[in-house]
This record gives sequence, C-alpha cells and structure tokens, in this order.
Amino acid sequence: MSVNRRIFLSGTAAALAAPAVSTTGAFAQEKVVRFTLSQDFTRIYTFVTSEYNQGQRDYFTLVNERGGINGYRIVADVSDHANDLPRAIEAYERGKREGSVLIDPLSTPVARALVPRALEDKVNLVTAYSGRSDAADGTSFPYVLPLSINYWTQAGLIIDYFRQIENGNLRGKKVVFVHIDTPFGKEPLPILQVLAQRLGFELLPFPYTPPGNDQAAIWPQVRRARPDFVIFWGAGVGQTVALTEAIRNGMRMDRVSSSVWISESDMDVVGREAAKGVLKVEPCVSGREPKPIRDILAEVVAKGKGAGPEAKVGTSYYNYGVQMGSLMVEGVRKAFEKAPNGPVTGPWLNEGLRSISNFTAEGLLPPTTVSKEDHQGGGLGRISRWDGAKFVPATDWFTANQDIVWAEIRKYSEEFRRSGK
Amino acid sequence: MFYRRAGIRHTRYQDERQLFPLRFDRWLILLVLGFLVLAPFTLDRLYLAGYLLPWLIWSTAALGLNLVMGGAGQIHLGYGAVMAIGAYGSVHLVRYGVPLEIAMIAGGLLSATIGIIFGAAALRVKGIYLAMATLAMQYIVDFVISQTPAISGGSLATIQVPPVRFLGFSVRGDVETYFVALSVCVLVTLFMLNVRRTSFGRALAAVREKDYAAQILGVSTFKYKLLAFWVSSFIGGVVGSVLAVCYLRAVSPDQFHIELSIQLLAMVIVGGLGSVLGPFFGAALILFAPIVLNNLMGLISTTLGVSMSIDLRAHVPLMAYGALVIGFLLYEPLGLAKIYDNLRNYLLVWPFRHAQR
Repeated sequence: MSVNRRIFLSGTAAALAAPAVSTTGAFAQEKVVRFTLSQDFTRIYTFVTSEYNQGQRDYFTLVNERGGINGYRIVADVSDHANDLPRAIEAYERGKREGSVLIDPLSTPVARALVPRALEDKVNLVTAYSGRSDAADGTSFPYVLPLSINYWTQAGLIIDYFRQIENGNLRGKKVVFVHIDTPFGKEPLPILQVLAQRLGFELLPFPYTPPGNDQAAIWPQVRRARPDFVIFWGAGVGQTVALTEAIRNGMRMDRVSSSVWISESDMDVVGREAAKGVLKVEPCVSGREPKPIRDILAEVVAKGKGAGPEAKVGTSYYNYGVQMGSLMVEGVRKAFEKAPNGPVTGPWLNEGLRSISNFTAEGLLPPTTVSKEDHQGGGLGRISRWDGAKFVPATDWFTANQDIVWAEIRKYSEEFRRSGK
Repeated sequence: MFYRRAGIRHTRYQDERQLFPLRFDRWLILLVLGFLVLAPFTLDRLYLAGYLLPWLIWSTAALGLNLVMGGAGQIHLGYGAVMAIGAYGSVHLVRYGVPLEIAMIAGGLLSATIGIIFGAAALRVKGIYLAMATLAMQYIVDFVISQTPAISGGSLATIQVPPVRFLGFSVRGDVETYFVALSVCVLVTLFMLNVRRTSFGRALAAVREKDYAAQILGVSTFKYKLLAFWVSSFIGGVVGSVLAVCYLRAVSPDQFHIELSIQLLAMVIVGGLGSVLGPFFGAALILFAPIVLNNLMGLISTTLGVSMSIDLRAHVPLMAYGALVIGFLLYEPLGLAKIYDNLRNYLLVWPFRHAQR
C-alpha cells in the first residue's frame, strides 16, 4: 500500500511539473507561419471538429508539400480545448508565446471569451460559423475574422430561397423555425422577425431544450401548425434528431432547410434515402469535385500524408475546413505581397487577410472578398439539396437581405464599441 | 525534519491560538505569498494568464463551495448558477457606472439573496434530494438568464465588461487583473482559515456531523444552514464577478452551465472536503491535468514522431485524467489535502516513524 502510494505520489508530482515542458524551439530557426488550431474534439462538436480540422490540416500539408508560401511553411498546432474556457485561454496564450499569428477555436463560447484578448494582443481570431456574428463589421473588430457567412446571413438566404420557390411572394405563408433554446439557436430570430414583417409571412418559433436529443414534444405541434416551410436550427445531435422528427412527422423535405450545420455524417444516422430533398445552406462546394480537394487526394492522401480517414475527404465539414484553410493561406499570400520580408506577426497577417479579393480557391468557394469593413467575405452562399447521396446545388451563389443583416451587425458592433471604451 | 514539532511547548495562549503554530508553516505561507506577489514581474505571461490567474479564481470559488459542502455538509450542485448571478449582477451594475468594489459586493449580495432561497430547501431535505434541489437552481438560473434579453444582452447574448477601476487602479492588463483576483483570494482564504475557530464554524461542523444532534445541543440548524448557504453564495457571487471582470472580460450564459458546477464539485472533492488547502490542490488538478496531459501528448507526437490520429490524441488525455481522478478516490478518498497532511505528519517527527499525538 505504501509503495503504491509512493508511486502514485511521484507520478502526480511528475504530471504537475510537466507544464514547464513546452514545444518551443522545435521550429524556432525555420521559416514558418504558425497557426493555433485549438478546437473541441471531445466535448460537444466532436465529429464536426475532427472533419473540419482534417480538412484544414490536409490543405496546409498540400501547401507545404508544394514548397510553402514564399519559402515559409505553415505550421498548425492542434490541441483539444473541449469547449472549456481555461483550457482554451491557456492554448491561446501558449500559441501567442510561440509566435502564432492566428487562432481558430471553432467554438462560440471560446471565441466570445477570446475576442477582447485577440483585439488587445493583435492576434487574428478566426470565428468561422461561430463566435460573434457582429464581427462581420471589420471596423469594430479588426482582429476578429469570421471569413464566412454568419447565421443572420444564412437565415436571410434560406428565406430568400423560399421566396424564390413561391415565385417571389411569401405573403400569408407559414414558416416554422425550430431551434435549440440557447443564444445560438435564437440568434437568427431578429432577422426572421424583420423579414416576416417585410415579406408578410407568418413566423412560428418552436424552441426545444438543449442538448436536443428529445424533440418529440415539439414536432407534433409543428405538424399541427401546418407549415409551408420549416427551418431547423441546432448543432450536433440536435440536428439529427430534428431531421428524423421532421421526416417522421411527414414534413415535405424540399421545404425543410437548415443552416450550414448538417452533413453527410448526419444523413448516415437519419438514413440517406429518407432524408432525400432536405435543404441546407452551403458556404462552399461539397464533394470531391473542386480542384483543391482533387489536389489533396492526389498529392496528400495518395502519399499517405492525410490527416485522417480518406472516406471523410470531400464531406461538407471537411470542405469547410479546406475553405478556411485556403482563406488563411490566401491571407498569408496577400500579406507576403504587401510585406515580403515580414516580420511574420499578427498585424502583418491581418493586413493580408483583410485584403483578400475575389478569391475562389479554384472553384471551391463563392468569390470571397474580405475588406477592412466587411469580414464576412461578401455574404455569398447557396442552397443545396440532399439527393440521397450528396448535396446538389439548388441555386447559384447568391446573397440576400444583406440590408437587414447589416443593420443588425451595426447595432451590436456599435454596442460593443461603446461598452469597450 | 522541516517542521520540527518535537519539543515545542507553548508558554502563552497567543502562541497556542495562532493560525500557524509551526514556524516552518509560517515561512512556507510567506514564501508562497511572496511568490504569488512577485509572479507578475518574474513569470512569463503564459503562466500568469494561462495558469496562475484561473487557478486563483477557481480556488476561491472552490473555497466558497467547500464552506457549504465540507463545512456544513450540504450538497450543492448549483454553484455555477450562484457565480452566474454574481457575474451578471455586477457586470450590469458596472455598466451603469457603479464602481467595481461596490458592484462586486452587490453581486455577492444578489447571489446570497437568491442562493438562500434555494438553500432554504436544505431545511427540509438532505443528501440526494438537496442535490436535486440545487440542481434545479442551476437550471432555473440558466433558463432565466438566457430567456431574458435584458439580462443576457439581446440576440448575441454576450455582454462586454467595460473598463473598470478597482480601488483607484485601472483593471485592464494581466498584472492588474491578477492582483484583484489575488487579493480576493487572500481575503476569502483568511476568512476560511478563521471561520473554523469561530462559533459559526463550530456550529456548522455540528450541523454537518448530525443536524438533529446539533439541534439538541442548542445549535439552531435552521439558522446555521441558511447562514452557510448565505455566506457561500455571497463568496460565489463575488468570485463570479472576479471571473467575469478579470478573466473572461465578457459574460455569456454558456460560461456558467452545469459543467462549471460539476468542475467545482470535483475540485472540492478531489482537493479534500472541509479543508482550506484542499480547494487549491483540487483546482490545480482539475484545471491543469487535462491541459498538461494534452500538451504531453502533443509533445510525444511531435518530438517522438509517433503518428497518432487527432481524435486519439484528444481522447487519451481524457482517459488518463479519468484514471487519475479514480485513482485519487481509490487511494486517498480524503483528497489531495490529506496526502499533503500525511506527508507533513511524516516529516513532523522524522526520522521517527510514529509519534504520540
């Protein structure tokens, strides 16, 4: 017993002494651009994160295999923050110390806690599909970069697509908004309310309690409301359950849409055939057709350097990862154009990221222009339909209702600026 | 060896009554305090903002929870909600221009007021039933905050903490926030060290051991159970406001979910119920074991070139962490504080193995 305890104690002591060990120095002399990808692999987003992260890292490998940018290699420090703030802040500080110029936490609570730090330290905080939607206003949030269509824009796109289906008139129609009852789920509500008033449709919000693995109480009510259109809004397990319930309650699948958060992996759970017709917002092309994905398959995965299982290459979330990876790399490229000799710092990369113009990543993205005013990248997206095997675009790249979205963005960024003083 | 208790005979009541009768303990405390005060000027920012600051804040919170759990023996699963009330209360006040010192205390009072309502359940129920009652508090407070735009701050549900001053100093950078957290932590620790020596502390102990026996002894369980909830909720509210102002700098409802309550509970239990030292050890273990294990895994996979899928790399620390917690509960259910105590007892009479108590 006493030996056990002694071993136990010394083991504990070793574990406690370990933070002194750090990974600094390994790449110190090389020419690298360092990114911190501290994301949630274990708590809430799990498979979403691993697919997203796999896409990012595969893209960085592709760039590095081709000789990097201007002789610089991209180094991505990947770690797990499990959506826990102390862990995420530690990862952020560690990254900053090691010279990281960008952090992508892929988590709304973490991004929100990092915003004041990133603004103060001038570290680029990428908040794709997470964080504060009002960060689209680059004048208030110079170092917070969503680089993607925010939830308000996504809601605007969905409603506009419904309007297109109804030949431009939604008057008297019923739109049901089934959402997780958290700030994230309620976020699109103001946009939808304004649109309901403007376009004359009836909006019926149905909240379900988080985490949303039981929505049996909500959907019969949805059915009773006889909606013309259904929007479901959640993340993780809630999405799969919502889709299952929508099918079970006989919703017309081609009138049901979600945000960017629905993927092939969800379809496997729901049943690929059963979900046929369901709509989603697509911020970039899915599948293996786009050139960057084919390049990754040929130059990274085929050589055994892929970051994860080959089967996941080309899925929606994987492609979101490649999308973000390519935007980050494009930012680096632009930064080198502006200041070829660096120094590689946060402000240096910031200049580059905020001058991305008409970038399509060889056909993967809609033309994306990030400016000092607009961090959303132009607000282009498209609606896609699940055909039983893959997502097929139902529209071309388009943007809609940006006046309402920007009114909301300005309202909150103004508030942020005022309280930050 | 270090402690040298043998042969010490107190000749004055003051000597006997002091907080740390052993000279070595006093020096140790001074050394730790000195280190903590000098840390901002010597340590790298990573260690200050990434380790020391959260450790101080979470330790203070665990101390507050330990008063009601270890001190009065009442289970509390809603301490995150208590902190949320304090955080939201004080941040809203600060936004209305109330000085931080007053806002902090007001946040604490608000937490105490609401905490005591749920604490009143403790008068009727015990054990697992009280756990459920406090769990209900967690969910009710969560619900109220996220459903009231006036509290949570509209559709983005994030409120920025405006720049504030504490006792005349601007609380902006790492050093200032650190010192605010440190001073609150020192105050709470001093209170906790002393509370056991007061009639209040002794009454709490009586209630903890057997509440009806305490009642027979003349200790009003009604009064002391409520007081325990009041005091611990007050501390929770103040710590919540420290957490918001010094660490998170923006409050949003998902920062105070049930996960925070469970984390604090784990800190108290792993650290050692009822001890003052325990929460500090517990907070360190629960906060940093995952980080350290994660970094170790990262180090192993980069330096040794072990190729590991990221999912595995993320989950191995989790397993190791689980094993670590189970190990503590198996081998030292009294927590980390007891391990330190064993060590101390051993060294008190070293080189002899046993000494008369």
